Amino acid sequence: MFEKLEAYLEEISHFLSGRKEREEILSEIRSHILEKTEQESGEATEATLAKVIAAYGPARRVAEKYLDGRPIIAPAFKRFLFRYTALLFAFHFVFTVAAVVFKESFLMFPIVYVPSMRPFEALFYLPMALLFDFGIVTLVLYLITQGKKDVRLPWPRFSVDLDEVKVPRRTIGRIIGLVAMSALTGTALYFYVRYRTIFFVNFDFAQHRPIFTPEAGQLYSLILIGLWALGTLGLAAKLVTSSPWIDAVEKSLSLVLLGFAFRQPLDTAFAVHAPEGLVRWINLSFTITLLIICIFVAVDLIKALVRIGRKQLAK
Amino acid sequence: MDPETSHFETEMNRGFLQILVLAMLEKDMYGYSMVRTIRELGYEVEENTLYPLLRRLEKNGWVKSKWDVSEDRPRKFYSITEAGRGLRAELLSIWKKQDEILKHIMKEKSHV
Repeated sequence: MFEKLEAYLEEISHFLSGRKEREEILSEIRSHILEKTEQESGEATEATLAKVIAAYGPARRVAEKYLDGRPIIAPAFKRFLFRYTALLFAFHFVFTVAAVVFKESFLMFPIVYVPSMRPFEALFYLPMALLFDFGIVTLVLYLITQGKKDVRLPWPRFSVDLDEVKVPRRTIGRIIGLVAMSALTGTALYFYVRYRTIFFVNFDFAQHRPIFTPEAGQLYSLILIGLWALGTLGLAAKLVTSSPWIDAVEKSLSLVLLGFAFRQPLDTAFAVHAPEGLVRWINLSFTITLLIICIFVAVDLIKALVRIGRKQLAK
Repeated sequence: MDPETSHFETEMNRGFLQILVLAMLEKDMYGYSMVRTIRELGYEVEENTLYPLLRRLEKNGWVKSKWDVSEDRPRKFYSITEAGRGLRAELLSIWKKQDEILKHIMKEKSHV
């Protein structure tokens, strides 16, 4: 009985557990190693065996050669694993932002349930959500792989192929945009500091008349200034880097700000008298406009998260 | 040998080793004796690759085995089956055809 040899076989045995021919495989390897040691060194000792064992290879590699090469997920599905995970997580992320802002629970039957939570809780929830999404996509791809069926999976492209996407560096356009956005944000900030609102009925600033009540005017002004400021910072950052993180952060914060706008009831926000029918019409138009903006921002956020997710997961 | 070439060699060896083993097993042999014979012929074979290959060939019925316990050390002897001979003939025919194609291409190249 040689300790090194038995320990080596034990290690191989560990990787072969569940295979009925395990004992025979181990007997074969034992016989080979002992024979080779005696032939090459004259006598099998712990020292001479150690050399032959080292030459035979690490236990895991030896065991792997006996295992069937069937992968857990077919190599052809690898790219689906990363894209689907990133896509699912992107939805998860958007609903998490919504759950935080609106203090509501969301259910995307049967996969995603996002409970109402506070921002601090969301920081713990999102890593769990990523692991869950990775697991659920892995499980589906595993079942397809093991089913050995020739399944053609959909490949969402979002109107651009994210594989070949190269963010064009339109520097001059960005500089012009940055100057315009900076001017807009700066002007809005000036008006806000001076009048506590940026929404006016008239342009006579000596006798200015705000559209909204002081509280609503402050909130809407800050939200709009915040959105413009985010756009300005995003454009500035894109001058130096094309990282999708810029879009992700910008769109996430924009969604949060838009969520606050949703939560403010508009019908009691007006400081000027307007007919009831007109208020109702403005309320509806405002809600639809906000909703459309939210959808566009959410789609951009999902695209950015998909790009980030694929890059990070592929690493 | 650089790692890239070594990778290609491993790929090429996979097919070659199957034909080689089927050719050698016309007489009964055990694992270590096969490794030694192959090395004496100037060819290097990874021992931990040979045994799983023999097992796969046996599982498919191209090779059969039996343990010899008459000596101090038990040895597992392998021999080719009729199905294995049929497979060997087919593989050799494929290999010869590949060899001819390659020679033809190389000959054409040397004329250019």
